[in-house]
Amino acid sequence: MNFNLVLQGIFSALFIASVLRISTALVLPALGGLITDLAGSINISLEGTMLVSAFTGVIVSGFSHNVWLGVLGGILSGILFSALLAYFHLYLGTNIILAGTALNILASGGTVFLLFMLTGDKGSSSTLASGVVPTVNIPFIQDIPFLGTVLSGHNIFVYGAFLLTFLINKLLYNTKFGVHLRAVGEDPVAATSVGINARRTKFMAILISGFLASLGGLNLSMAYLSSFQRDMTAGRGFIALAAVYLGGRKPWGTVLAAILFGIADALSNQLGTLNIPSQLVQAIPYAITILALVVNGIRTRSQLIEQTKRFQERELSRANTEEQK
Amino acid sequence: MKKFFSNPAVREVLRIFIAIGSALLLGFIITLFISKDPIGAYKAFLTGPFTKFNRFGDWIEESITLTLVGLSVAIAFKANMFSMGTQGQLVLGALVSGVVALYVPLPATLRIPLALICAMAVGFIWGWIPGYLKAHLNANEIVSTLMLNTIAIKIYDYLLVFYIKPEDAGYNVSAIFPPEGTLPSFIPNVPFFNNIYTLFTKNTDITIMLYIVILAVIVAYYLVFKTPFGYKLRMIGSNIKFARYGGIDTKKTMILVFAISGVYGALAGAHMTMGIQHSIITNISISMAFEGIIVAILARNNPLYVPLTALAYGYLRAGANIMERSSDMSREMIAIIQALIILFVTAEQILPTVQKRIEERKEQNSNKEESSLPDGGSHEL
Repeated sequence: MNFNLVLQGIFSALFIASVLRISTALVLPALGGLITDLAGSINISLEGTMLVSAFTGVIVSGFSHNVWLGVLGGILSGILFSALLAYFHLYLGTNIILAGTALNILASGGTVFLLFMLTGDKGSSSTLASGVVPTVNIPFIQDIPFLGTVLSGHNIFVYGAFLLTFLINKLLYNTKFGVHLRAVGEDPVAATSVGINARRTKFMAILISGFLASLGGLNLSMAYLSSFQRDMTAGRGFIALAAVYLGGRKPWGTVLAAILFGIADALSNQLGTLNIPSQLVQAIPYAITILALVVNGIRTRSQLIEQTKRFQERELSRANTEEQK
Repeated sequence: MKKFFSNPAVREVLRIFIAIGSALLLGFIITLFISKDPIGAYKAFLTGPFTKFNRFGDWIEESITLTLVGLSVAIAFKANMFSMGTQGQLVLGALVSGVVALYVPLPATLRIPLALICAMAVGFIWGWIPGYLKAHLNANEIVSTLMLNTIAIKIYDYLLVFYIKPEDAGYNVSAIFPPEGTLPSFIPNVPFFNNIYTLFTKNTDITIMLYIVILAVIVAYYLVFKTPFGYKLRMIGSNIKFARYGGIDTKKTMILVFAISGVYGALAGAHMTMGIQHSIITNISISMAFEGIIVAILARNNPLYVPLTALAYGYLRAGANIMERSSDMSREMIAIIQALIILFVTAEQILPTVQKRIEERKEQNSNKEESSLPDGGSHEL
């Protein structure tokens, strides 16, 4: 009968709402990862950026007693942090993966170091009364029985995430900057030869990813929870990168993949009551990502073979017609 | 003198020293601002590992693990493969060696080698997977290895919680390994060495892994620099397209690179369970794999230098722990120093940029002198 309870739990409006809330911290950095991946300079330090922003947001709002100052500080710190990555990668020639790793280490240790300095605690900022962003109740929709619970009453980051997905989609596919960005990602030399400033485009892409990751971090510390916890991102920045690949490097695909990870996370919480081991449930999205890499690889390979075949046939038929002449 | 500095090897060493030196200096400046007793705190940080015998032991033990993860990373990075998979390989190596050490009823002389071989085998397999995905399906190795890491950790946790943990245990920890399943001390227990043996076993956990690591370094060096496989590996590392045109089976080499890197990662895991913890614990490696990246970068991915950088780096880590215990500074300051070291060492353009600036300034100065001479020396400064 326990099983029925869990089933009821999964198919309830509250569960879907909780999936949306959990997924937001993945959707936002995943979009950041997507932009940098398309620009050809994959941002490994999403994890660190989220952590820095989550920390700064809590500290600023805690000391200034103003939620919005905290949000602003968090966003600025995230952008600055990713600017550091961009500067080292683009101007000092550091390999982006190594620079990103360095920044992740810096963020993980640096936030704990500063937390200890400012609050005297190494684990969390719970002694500091920090702010929480407001939730939004959508008029009319909130009164509809099922839909109201699912769609209404979330914090602003949840709505922001879906708005931003839409905007990023527009930015990537309907603006000049988006075309340049994807061109630089395909082939920086070719893009430069037609007059695109590859370095500046990549710089912008990394800054935008920093902005998106900072929102993801703030969502964790100022909405999902109301304090900063040591290493509270718990690998979300890396999961976000996986979501990019699982989603086929497209905005809506990436978001869907991020939500899939969110579902697995929420599901493993629910299944804790049953005898199904939560570790295995949590591992499922990672296994799916590997599968997606395999499927994607096979698809690209067969496409390549197909193209080569067509090319050969075309050349052959051309040669034949020339012979006939 | 000028010739001495233009020697690439000298510049390389100089660069690493400058990077570590400036990172340490920045760390000291931070300490100055924060600590009530900055000199004392920094002294504990810099001299800590030599103040007590057991601290010295901790340093060496940690350096052994760091050398193994460093080798794992260096072999992959040398081939320009950014494998992040060391963590997963380490975790599975720890799991498998621990299971053999706990359950296989064999005498120590057979059980320990078996445990190590099983760990290496599982590391080979876990490394082979991303290698295959990369070689045949062009899958991004960073993503695939990160995914495999998490899967490995989940498998580890699952087996530990549901099967390995004793029923009555409060924590998620296995039973303590029997003596047949723990690595013996690196000093043989024979009459002649009796005094040293008791001294070391009482204070430290330095095991025969010390010899295995030395062997591992030599094997890695020969593999990378003295064998046909190593030649192919380095060729792929410098230019994979060129290697392919040159007739090298890049796919096979790539897969082997990942798999061998996995063997070293798994050995590190075996050392952590059978040498240091003597049981299977949760969260066995939180950041060890990333530490391996630092060690490998400092060694410029040369297996021969890995133990040296591992010792240097292990020293900093051990020092940070001691500093935290004996002063008001927190251990996490080391993270700032770590990050700065990586950034300084890997920033290819820092030295050239500085050099260019200096040369430009020189040129400007000489231009000024030249242009000011015809005027009859009118100085406008």
